[in-house]
Amino acid sequence: MNPPVLSVRGLTTRFHNRAGAVTVVDGVSFDLARGEVIGLVGESGSGKSMTGFSLIGLIDAPGRIEAGSSVKLEGRELIGLPDRDLRHLRGRRISMVFQDPMMTLNPVLTIGEQMRLVLAAHGRIDRASARARSAEVLGRVGIPDPTARLDAYPHQFSGGMRQRVAIAIAILNRPAVIVADEPTTALDVSIQAQILAEMRRLVAEDGTAMIWISHDLATVSSIADRLCVMYAGRIVEHGPATEVLGAPRHPYTRGLLDSLPSQSEPGADLRQIPGATPSLAALPPGCPFEPRCGRADPVCTTRPEDVEAPPRGWRCHHPLGETAA
Amino acid sequence: MTGYVLGRLAQAAVVMLVMSALVFLGVYAIGNPIDVLISPDATQDIRAAAIAAYGLDKPLWEQYFTFLGRILSGDLGRSFVYGMPVSELLLGRLPATLELTLTAIVGATIVGVPLGIYAGWRPHTTFSKLLMGFSILGFSVPTFWIGLVLIFVFAVELGWLPAGGRGATLHLFGADWSFLTVDGLKHMFLPALNLSLFKFAMMIRLARSGTRETMGTDTVKFARAAGLSEWTVLSRHVLRLISIPIVTVFGLELGATLAFAVVTETIFSWPGLGKLVIESITALDRPVMVAYLVIVSFVFIGINLAVDLSYAALDPRLRKGGGR
Repeated sequence: MNPPVLSVRGLTTRFHNRAGAVTVVDGVSFDLARGEVIGLVGESGSGKSMTGFSLIGLIDAPGRIEAGSSVKLEGRELIGLPDRDLRHLRGRRISMVFQDPMMTLNPVLTIGEQMRLVLAAHGRIDRASARARSAEVLGRVGIPDPTARLDAYPHQFSGGMRQRVAIAIAILNRPAVIVADEPTTALDVSIQAQILAEMRRLVAEDGTAMIWISHDLATVSSIADRLCVMYAGRIVEHGPATEVLGAPRHPYTRGLLDSLPSQSEPGADLRQIPGATPSLAALPPGCPFEPRCGRADPVCTTRPEDVEAPPRGWRCHHPLGETAA
Repeated sequence: MTGYVLGRLAQAAVVMLVMSALVFLGVYAIGNPIDVLISPDATQDIRAAAIAAYGLDKPLWEQYFTFLGRILSGDLGRSFVYGMPVSELLLGRLPATLELTLTAIVGATIVGVPLGIYAGWRPHTTFSKLLMGFSILGFSVPTFWIGLVLIFVFAVELGWLPAGGRGATLHLFGADWSFLTVDGLKHMFLPALNLSLFKFAMMIRLARSGTRETMGTDTVKFARAAGLSEWTVLSRHVLRLISIPIVTVFGLELGATLAFAVVTETIFSWPGLGKLVIESITALDRPVMVAYLVIVSFVFIGINLAVDLSYAALDPRLRKGGGR
């Protein structure tokens, strides 16, 4: 097997304040192969976005990626890299698409200028070449009449078109990895499907690997090859998407699946996971899901170990599908 | 865009008209100029003749239209005190105020905005904290006191810079300018510094708060995620995003300072508009007061118009007819 394009080991990010440290990303590890799409799923506050920002080295103080974490991009260790070198990798080898295209694009600069700045950040380029390259990429993401649209401002685009522009900016320098942080969440459902299909096509054409962060299992399942389910900053279950969704081992994954509206009878109440995401500042000592879990027993007050059963893995004392009970 | 500009010009003309009426009525309310013009022991005949000569026997509306007609033809009357046309008098003083004010405000903006952006970008450094402490000082210490301290330190004790006057001037475009000679610049330095301190403090705070707000937005995160350097993020993205409030305050302060640089001009005996007006008020020189008010409102309206038009240049969302 080829070496992974992105290899994450024990990634831990903490926010330090007067009250102490809050761990928002807790020992996250995974490998991403070339052209592979990994879905990072979990509820709000599970640390999935923070994992994304940690990968590209954009954690603002008082947040800090802790020693012992390792993120290797194309074999190169990113943790501990000087800001300058890290900046040259951002947007060139690894880039990011955000949730809300209304907020990400600068409203007072033309699309062409914003794209030119991104190109110019990674090497000298004259205006004419920058325009040509930008128009080419805008065309690839499905913007009609791309050359003329370079002189337009973000407010002259619809939401879906704006997200296409943001995606164009992310793939402008042909990165090896794209971190997509809920890129369809802020869009209309019909537009979501278009963007999803567009991104799937783009990464397949370029062989770009992608980390698709989402709380929406339905969209993730249609794009991801593998899934990592996050809870309280940890990956609690991972494996090939079809297997994880078809036969979840962790009760939390089961709970997420059950809360999908399509899993309930029409008219019946939606099944919810009882309780709420725990405060990261006050996690239970054992399994963080224990207070909300129907299968919890006294063992669950101790921290569960990683169980690795390639291609799958989970962190649970009482995984589903193991005993008949 | 042309329609928008024409509309704004029409609005400005209406405001100007209203202002002229207010100024006229305000000055009319102050009292009868005849009491000032002729001696109290003049005969009734002389008095009546003077009133007729100045048109003060006509109805108020007719006086107003005469006044308006004269202004429009550029005739602002004659100063009682100087005995020369007011327009000449004001135009002779305007360059002094103009160069002092522009130097102070442009200087405060060019230095203050980058410092403010730095303080917003790295809010926890010692330099940023010192800067913010200094800006509070700039806000709260009265101008006249700073002016006196500046004179005391730099003119009296150290003797580096002159304490007052314009110094040598150079004639250009029909007016005398101090900023074109070294001596003039020396004379201008202290009053300009005095005038700029408050604006400098304001620009720092304005730029800082705008930058702090902008740094947390997705726009900046997205730009960073695309690998833009901090310099590019600040100079291309942040500066453009925070420019509207800065331009607004720049315009307001420019107008206000042009009109009311009185304190500084008095302290440094800078022969500008402010000083002229104070003299006119003490001497009850009504034509000068009226002309001054008209010119000040004209300047304010002009600056506001320029600020409004620059919004459209700064923020494409405000441009009319720029739909999708």
